[in-house]
Amino acid sequence: MDRKAILNELKKVIAPYTENKMLLDGINEDTDLIKDLKINSANLVDIIIDAESKYQIEIDFDAAEKMYNVGNCIDIIYEKMNQST
Amino acid sequence: MKSAGNDIVALAKIDKHRTCQYRFYSKILSCSEEALYHQPQFTEFLFEKFVWLLWSVKESAYKFLKRNSKDLIFSPLRIVVQHIEIPSVFLTVKSNENYWTVTNDEKTVYKGKLTYNGHTLYFRSKVSEAWIASVVNGDDNFENVHWGIRSINDDRYDNQSAKAREFLLNELNLLFTGSLRTEKNPVGYIEIIRNNMPIDIPVSISHDGMYVSYTFDLTCFHKMNNVRSA
Repeated sequence: MDRKAILNELKKVIAPYTENKMLLDGINEDTDLIKDLKINSANLVDIIIDAESKYQIEIDFDAAEKMYNVGNCIDIIYEKMNQST
Repeated sequence: MKSAGNDIVALAKIDKHRTCQYRFYSKILSCSEEALYHQPQFTEFLFEKFVWLLWSVKESAYKFLKRNSKDLIFSPLRIVVQHIEIPSVFLTVKSNENYWTVTNDEKTVYKGKLTYNGHTLYFRSKVSEAWIASVVNGDDNFENVHWGIRSINDDRYDNQSAKAREFLLNELNLLFTGSLRTEKNPVGYIEIIRNNMPIDIPVSISHDGMYVSYTFDLTCFHKMNNVRSA
């Protein structure tokens, strides 16, 4: 799965936690989950758990703390998927 | 350290089942913090509430520290609650959970200490049937720390944010004359502008679901006024 495909799937993971679904259409790798998408910080844990389930990966403590923007999320998911293959 | 940090969790918004799953709470609580729950004082306290109580403390600490460390990233497991004690007068707020303000309430709040990267901070938390709210301070004296919680009618993000600011300003206006407004600093924290000049009162606001909350610390303000009047 390439970065573009991960981004498209990531939008589905994020969607339940953002109030304004229109914002999702314009996201890019610099999009901040809290500042730009107005996601409640408490939901970042939900997003990490959902991403773990969706991609069949385990996101450890060091990786989880970097998942505050879309680019970092893609980096971590990509890295963990390649580790598990 | 001059700062303020608070957080509120609306319990109607939490997923109780997911919160109690190890893979969820282990991203928030360390093993030593999970052990705190097994103290006799928490026998009748629901685990999901314990998880979100510690979350609210950690988020408050992050906001407190962020003011002086602009690149700080919120990482719940790096902020460690070392000690927590339950209220000496155990009251679950029922009648007034739609509007609650306090200064220096030491009897009906949860109290404790946390550490982060060499810093030691202190917290106070209030738990109701509908919300959990926390404030953090640099020392264990909360005499000048004011905080409050109120309900709102519309939980859309923009309304939550506006109502939290309005609540804060209304409470400050009970103590200060002059035109007050809020302004967001480039680091991301809110400053109070009085008659077009920033005033030395650290503030913090939070919102979740149908609740908004604020805190402000008047310690620096009182010290400055005492120096001026001396």
